[in-house]
Amino acid sequence: MLSQVQELVVHRQPDLLDTFYEEVVAFQSDKNSDVRKWVVGFIEEACKKDGRMLPLLLPNVQLLLEDGTVSVVKRCVQATAPLHKCTLVWVTSAHTITSDMELAWIILTGIKSKVTAMIDHENDGVRTQVIKCMESMILVQSYSETTSVHRERENVPFCLDRVPLTLKLTRPRKLEDEAKQMVQKLVSFLGSIHISSVNLMTCMSSLVILARARPIFLPSVVQSLELLHANLPPTLSKSQVNSVRKHLKLQLINLLKHPSACDFHDNIITVLTDLGMSSSEINKAVPNREEIRRQAKKRERAKAAAVAKKEDGNEGSARKRARLSNSTLTSNKDIPE
Amino acid sequence: MSLDLRFAVSCSSNMNRSMEAHAMLQKKGFKVRSFGTGDKVKLPGPGPDKPNCYEFGTSYDFIYKDLLNKDKALYTQNGLLHMLDRNRRIKDGPERFQDCTDKFDIILTCEEKVYDQVLEFLECHIPEENNPVHIINIDIQDNHEEATIGAFMICELALLLSSSDDLDNDIDELLHEFENKCQRNILHCVQFY
Repeated sequence: MLSQVQELVVHRQPDLLDTFYEEVVAFQSDKNSDVRKWVVGFIEEACKKDGRMLPLLLPNVQLLLEDGTVSVVKRCVQATAPLHKCTLVWVTSAHTITSDMELAWIILTGIKSKVTAMIDHENDGVRTQVIKCMESMILVQSYSETTSVHRERENVPFCLDRVPLTLKLTRPRKLEDEAKQMVQKLVSFLGSIHISSVNLMTCMSSLVILARARPIFLPSVVQSLELLHANLPPTLSKSQVNSVRKHLKLQLINLLKHPSACDFHDNIITVLTDLGMSSSEINKAVPNREEIRRQAKKRERAKAAAVAKKEDGNEGSARKRARLSNSTLTSNKDIPE
Repeated sequence: MSLDLRFAVSCSSNMNRSMEAHAMLQKKGFKVRSFGTGDKVKLPGPGPDKPNCYEFGTSYDFIYKDLLNKDKALYTQNGLLHMLDRNRRIKDGPERFQDCTDKFDIILTCEEKVYDQVLEFLECHIPEENNPVHIINIDIQDNHEEATIGAFMICELALLLSSSDDLDNDIDELLHEFENKCQRNILHCVQFY
């Protein structure tokens, strides 16, 4: 029944959203935790559909983040990543920043810091969700690079590239610094002694996804994986150690294949050999350096072509402007004084 | 006990180990689907180098009749016809894990190679909501007796996991407890949908 309401109000007749959102969100105080979880899902969908709902509904997420039921808190953390992206897309696409946008941004900043602090939450499942949420926020709050390997469905996923330097609410530089701090937080979480094996593997995967998408993080990620290999948490059982080592192998192979990882090949190969991988298996995974060089040249050429095209476009528009001003001048000349 | 968890059981051909576990979990009332992760459905043939190979999507009924026509005595004696008859009562035909779009909470695999193939597939999968899925491997040899013992173990594990109200928080401990009890090495990893 509730999902039918969501389908109708959010997707089929979004004009009803403004009228009914209060009634729907009132279910956030329902006794049943599944209903409260549903409310979070509704808020997420509504905000994705219409950015104007963000200042109205983000306070509810902030409130539900304090819920006494762990599954509701997990759902809120899960929703934070898409809401964070929605808010940044919304404020970036606006011509002028309204007071509503300022409000939404302030609430979102509060949610973000609360979620990031939850990496030390007492519940393991919440911590897992926080890692995944931080991974998404870091990707949004950093610049793409020429060798970035994206996992998102979009060809060019939303990130700092699309945030103008002149954004009044916050400076992209500040967001980028925040992302770097979050990566450091994940790195130190990976190195913590009492981390569970599930979170260890989640954190490992997230850091590798980040390093592949943002090669700027490669040095710290490779170093953290090397350190982890040397000092696995003492709390892990024998089979957990096997699972973690297997997972580490998989992640290192993923890194090894990355075109920007050439400088780290020796470090990665040393760990892989320690993990019991034969040199023939490693050689199979190491990409051909000549191929990497060729790919890099291809990317550079494409980049140069894109820049040239842009400049041509600018020149073209400059010529157009010049022509226009000339014609205005000539037409002005025609006007008798 | 929560019977809401969505289980998947996978071996390589979706014939013996995964189907034995599928039958048992289904009887206990669990939400379960079974799969194979190999390229083809392979069954023993008249010689070690002459297996019977079928494409995924071929029905159990078709395979049953095919083997019946090929050599009724041999395939009755080695138990393949009995196994196929059991399978066709459960579902139409073997399914390939990599072709399935359903989401699960727990994926149980019956050998390390299958575990690797499941992981490889899920690693390439782009998560939408970051819902966790736990992949757990228990090594089970591919013969009738071991498949039956394995199905009992899988069923016990499923009962243990379902007893938790907060699986993401408890899974490490539950698996440790299970491992000590059944004296088998298990592999465990988490991925996201």
